[in-house]
Order: sequence, then C-alpha cells, then structure tokens
Amino acid sequence: MSTWILGISALYHDAAAVLLCDGVVVAAAQEERFTRVKHDASLPVRAVSWCLHQASIERGDLDWLVFYEKPLRKFERIVATDVATFPRSWRSFPRHMHSWLGDKLWIRGRLVDTFGVPTERILFCEHHLSHAASAFLASPHRQAAVLVADGVGEWATTSLWRGSDQAPFLEPVAEVRWPHSLGLLYSAITAHLGFAVNEGEYKVMGMAAYGEPRMREQIDRIAHLEADGSFSLDMDYFCWHWHPTRSATPKLAALLGPQRLPGTPFAPRARPGDASAAVIAESQRHADLAASVQSWLEDAMLHLAGHAARTIGTDTLCLAGGVALNAVANHRLAAEGPFAHLWIQPAAGDAGGALGAALWAWHAVLGNPRNDLPFRVDLGPQQDRGHTVEILDDLGFRYEVLEEAATDRAVEDLVAGHVLGWVQGRAEWGPRALGHRSILADPRGADTAERVNRRIKLREPFRPFAPSVTAAGAAGFKLAPAAAAPARHMLVAAPVQAALAAQIPAVIHVDGSARVQVVDPDAHPAYHALLERFGQATGLPILLDTSFNLKGEPIVGSVVDALATFARSGLDVLYLDGIRVQRPPAYIDTQPKASS
Amino acid sequence: MGVVKQIWVALTGTLAWRIPRRARHLLWAFSRAELGSALDMLAAVEATERRDLRKKYFRHAMDEWRHSVIFREQAQSMGPTDAELAGRDEAGMLVENGIVGGRTLFERLGERDFLAFVYVAEGDAVEHFEVYHRLRLPNAGTLAAMDGILKDEVFHVTYSRAELDRMAQGGQGKEARRAILRTRWNRLKERWMRLSRDIGAVTSAVWLTALYLLVIWPFRLIARLDGGGWQVPPVEPRDRLLAARSEA
Repeated sequence: MSTWILGISALYHDAAAVLLCDGVVVAAAQEERFTRVKHDASLPVRAVSWCLHQASIERGDLDWLVFYEKPLRKFERIVATDVATFPRSWRSFPRHMHSWLGDKLWIRGRLVDTFGVPTERILFCEHHLSHAASAFLASPHRQAAVLVADGVGEWATTSLWRGSDQAPFLEPVAEVRWPHSLGLLYSAITAHLGFAVNEGEYKVMGMAAYGEPRMREQIDRIAHLEADGSFSLDMDYFCWHWHPTRSATPKLAALLGPQRLPGTPFAPRARPGDASAAVIAESQRHADLAASVQSWLEDAMLHLAGHAARTIGTDTLCLAGGVALNAVANHRLAAEGPFAHLWIQPAAGDAGGALGAALWAWHAVLGNPRNDLPFRVDLGPQQDRGHTVEILDDLGFRYEVLEEAATDRAVEDLVAGHVLGWVQGRAEWGPRALGHRSILADPRGADTAERVNRRIKLREPFRPFAPSVTAAGAAGFKLAPAAAAPARHMLVAAPVQAALAAQIPAVIHVDGSARVQVVDPDAHPAYHALLERFGQATGLPILLDTSFNLKGEPIVGSVVDALATFARSGLDVLYLDGIRVQRPPAYIDTQPKASS
Repeated sequence: MGVVKQIWVALTGTLAWRIPRRARHLLWAFSRAELGSALDMLAAVEATERRDLRKKYFRHAMDEWRHSVIFREQAQSMGPTDAELAGRDEAGMLVENGIVGGRTLFERLGERDFLAFVYVAEGDAVEHFEVYHRLRLPNAGTLAAMDGILKDEVFHVTYSRAELDRMAQGGQGKEARRAILRTRWNRLKERWMRLSRDIGAVTSAVWLTALYLLVIWPFRLIARLDGGGWQVPPVEPRDRLLAARSEA
C-alpha cells in the first residue's frame, strides 16, 4: 500500500502543489500555470486536481496533506509586530485582522473543505523548515549546511540548519528574525527603483550589471554585517513591519535619492541610445544603486555562508528561499565561498515550500530514510497529442507533424534566424524554463536580444537572456567547480571567456556574464539533442533560452496558452512536442505592443 | 439601456473621469477586467465541447488581451498609480476580484450560461462606452482607443447573441431566455454582494481601529522586536507528529 503525501504552499505568493508517492515526487506544479495569474497565491485547487489526475488517484487516497507553514505562529508575529510598532501600525492592524480573522486563520478548515483530507491528517511545517527541506532532502547530499534566506516566514527571515542522514534530518542552528530581512531589503530597493515587489527583483539584478557600487557606503549605513556572522538592518529606513503597502520610510529616499517612477526610461552610459544627458545620468544613478544593493547582498551571502561553514563544519551548502534565486550572488558563493559543493532548490521561492513540506513529512515525521533517486525538474503537466491536434484544427492553425524530424527542422529554423516557441515533454518545476517551455533563438545574432525583448517578450530592453549549453560546450563559461549542480538549473551567472562571448552576443550581459544552463542529457534528452544538432550545424552547442511567456505572465501551461502567447508575440514558429506550428491564421488580430 | 441607467452611468462616469487620479484607477480596473475576460475566454477554448465555437472564443480572448493592453497604456500615459509608486505587487488582484479562481467561469456556468454571460456583460460594456462617447469622456486619446474596442465588443455581443438564438431555434428558447435573466440577476446580486462586502470592510476597519487605539496601546510597553543578528531557534519537540499537527 503506497503512502500519498500532498504538499501545499498558498495564501502569500506562488501557491503550488506537490504529490509524493512513498517519498518520490510524482507531480509538482504552481497554481499560476493553470489560472494564468502570475504568482497566484490562492489555494492551489487546480494544481492539486492535476496532481491527483496525474497519479490516477482520488482525494480520498491522500494519506497526508502538509501545509508549508505554521499559521498561528505567523499570526502571533503579525499581532506582536502591530503592538510593538503602535501607533505607526494603525493602518496595518485593521487590514491584518480583517485578512486573518476573516480567512487565513482558518486554513485548516479550508484545507479540509477543499481537499477532503481529515483534520488529523493535516500537518503544518514551519516556513523555513519547508524551504530547508526542499533544498536538503531533494539534494543528493547526506551531510550539509543548509541556509534559507527570504522575505519572512513565521518569525525567521534567514535561518541556518544542520542537514544529516539521521532523523530528524534537519536541525535548526540559528536564525535571524523579523523585521531584519535580506529579501525585504532587496524588495525595498526594488520598489525604490520603480519595480513591483516579488516581480521586479530580477530586473534589479539585471540593472546592477550596468552600474558600479558607488552607493555602497549608503547601503552599508542601512544594512550591517555583524561580527557574529549575521546581519541587521537600520529599521529607521524601512516600514514593511508597520506600513500596509510601503517598504521604506522617507529617510531612505533622503539617503538614496528620489524614487524612480515606474516606466521611466533606462538609458545608462553602457546603452545610452538617443537619451538626453539628464536621462543618462539619472539612469546611471539607478544602475549604481542596483549595483550597490546587489554587491551588499553578495557580501551578506558570503558572510552567512562563512558562518555556516565555521559552525557546521561541512564542505556542502544547500540553499533555498527567494534570495537563493539571485544567480549573481550564487556565482560568488560558488567561486569565493568556503564550500566545495553547492545545491540550490530550483523552486527556491515559496512554491518550493510545498515540496519541502511534503519531503519533511515523509522523512522527518514518518521516519522514512532518504532514497538515492536524482531530483528531476520535469514534474509538471504534459500535453496530450490528440488534444493538441484537435485544438490546432479547431483554431485553424497550419501545422506539420514532424515527430523525430522536429529536431532537425528546429535547427534549420534557428539557423535561419527564427525565434522559436518550444514546448517539449513535462513542464519544469520552478521559475526557470529549462528547455521544456522555452523561447529559443540562435545566440550569435547581435540584434537577437533586443529583438526578443522588444518584439517577442514585450519586456524591458535592458534585461539579459540566458544560454543553454551541452556539457561538452560549456568550457567557455567560467563556472566554479561548486557551481556544477546549480548550473544545471540555470541558477548561476558566470563570467564568459571573451572569445566565446564575442560569438554569442545575444546571451552575454553587459558585464560579460551569462546565467548559463548546462543541460543534462538524462534530465532533458530532447533539448540536449536539439543543442547537439545545433552544435553540429553551427559549431556552437549553445542556444538562447528564455521562459515561454510574455512580460508579467506565467510560463505557458496548456496548449491553448502556448498558442495564445504565440499569437500575441512576434515568435516565428512554434514547436509543440514534435508538431511545427506556423504563424497564426488571419482572423486573429495580433498586433503586439512593444514595451516602453 | 433604460433612461435611469443611462443617467446613472453618465453621472458616475462624469464624476469618475473628471478626477485624474480616479480616471487612472478606472483605466487600470478596465485593463484588469479585460485581462480577466481574456483568461476566461482562453479557459473556454480549452473546456468547450462545442468545437465550432473555439475559434470565436479564441478571437474574443485575443481581443480582450489587446483591450487590456490599450487600457493599461492609457492609464500609464496618465502617470503611475499609487500601487506602482509603492512598488506593490498586484498579483492576486484578479483572484481577489473573483475573476478567476479554483474553477473557471466556463466550468462554473457551462456553455449556455457562459454565452449568456458574454452577451450580457459585453452588452453592458457597449452601453457604457456609448454613454462615455456621447459625453466625450474622458479625453480624445482614450475615446479614440475606446472606439476600436467598441467595434470588438459589438462583435462579441453579436456572436454570443447569435449562438443563443441558434439554441432557441434548436428548441432551447426557454432555457436561453432563462440563462440571460439568470445572468442579469446574478450580476445584480454580485454588485449587491460587492457593496455589502465594501460596507462590511469599512465597518470592520472602524471597529478594529477603535480596538487598536483603545485596547492595544498598553501592550506596547512590553512588546519588542528583535534587533537583528543570530538568535537561538525554538527547541525541537520530542513528538514530531504531535508537533506537526499543531498550527503553532
């Protein structure tokens, strides 16, 4: 008799569901892929339905349901904070009480009602323990230091764990508590730079490469690396703990200069275009601020990792939490940090909490030993061929069923300069497209990046693209030995040798780095075959790979999503599991809108 | 549209559009509503058993997406919203508004009621836009953008009406009429529920603020937040299953 465990993350951002059968992940997906609302936080009803369908089981077959945090402990933190910040929290308190007393506090009942699992079969795992488990218990390592850094969980914002092969598998070592938070510091600067919190952090990381850390001194005044190996913030500059919508007090703007308005043109010295001198100067100030906070974050991660190494005495570090998605910081950890091995959960944000909670229940609560199965990311839905053809026929798209020949044809398209939508096999777990729901292009074109940003993804032109490469072709990327595992999931931005960089300008960021994915042939056989064939045709087994979505939208889920995104973008051709689809029929008005 | 409704739309429209900040929010709301409709239509393409309708639903979805972009650009041309200035993440806004959720609109309503919903909702939109057009609201640029949208909305009304008529000719006239009436009633009910929720939210905010000011403040003397740096984590419980069942 198999044991089925459903892990769930929900109610804040990135709701997800993960289904384990006897400790093995059989299905995992984020709710946003079904509802098409990016970072959808609602209970993952559709993701759960799909997981159960994928495993051919019913709700009644579930043995355990594990929620990824402890709601009462979180509520305690919220009330305590509102009290401690009286009277400044007068606007937050009613909102918090309304939201919690009206909804979030009764999560157990909602889980029982929605998923039909008996109340005694519902478990709650601490937020940071869920993250830690998603990193350590999914990794191949048996001993490790585990570092979690995000916005906030219940109380912890950064936590250190000792991972071992014996129950309880993860022991808490130390934690930094609310309101001092690496994730929220980065988010506050994200907001200051005119981007949406929880969405624009990648843009700040991309923007940082255009600047120099000239404002590091100011950042050092608001964020301190402590002698005990931790950090603290000067909370006079921040208000996320008492203001309902804002992250920073006016003191921050007084220190860093005025907030950048959303949509303001970004034309730093490295890509001035035809901007005026004033716009260039202002853009450079923004880039320098981004570079300064990025530099501080990297130093903080190294500082924390140094403490982890000294305290736990192991050569392996596992990472999770939203901060672990900062690919530039991860590179420095791999290159300069004290660890020989680095393993990062690909879904390091809150979605990964669903996975960690389920793994923790199986191993730590139910007492089952670790298994030796490698962690895979192709855990999401796959399209049914019959349904795909039916939809294509009904919508009037012209297509060819190519099957195995699709790889060669795709290479012809790529070499001809076409930009492809590429849907292959099961969808990836985590925010990165790794060759299953990707937009692909030949990285050799000098104008390809600009074209894909403006005409296809409809997003800001300064944002970089990532390369995918076979292991044989990866020599030109200066990956530290410790970065080998994270690079398989596109979690490290590494410098690129100048000679190679000159050949693939579309995937080289302004600072000469690239967030490379070294493609594992066992994990992504079809994508690896495409890269190899492209390498045979061009001498470079490297492709531009970006997620198959438009700005502000989730990565495509269903075949209809793929076709709708295809229709609205400037993509030249779409491949759906061996079917080559041409530009949409004339009845669809698909005038794409370029971003400013 | 009845005269009373026309007057109401004209009055509220005039008030809303004349205030720049309110106009900006209204355009954002339109953009989000159109986006929500696009998602509903795409879900219908996936779920419908009427394969002949898929193309119309798909075209409709593409129209709605385009409208969403147009409204967003019009709003952006008026400057950033408060949410943008705060860097606030608006993810979940659609969910909060009940536009999407665990079940799609199509799944909740079924084909006939979904078509009735499209017919009624798009018809309402056409009527609103016509009133704004007569009043030359809010400005020439937005009006020009709305003209293109109006043509699309007329197509949406026409095809959904034609499908409902086809159902009526196929012997489902009573059901089709009832579906339209049900939709109108549900939309009224939803408006009432929304108003009730808003009143409830304001009332609870008043009471909770009073509670905060009168009861919470003495506890301020003993409440402290951490000062940063490493802290010792809570002790691991012995009975892990018991602890795991606890929400605290």
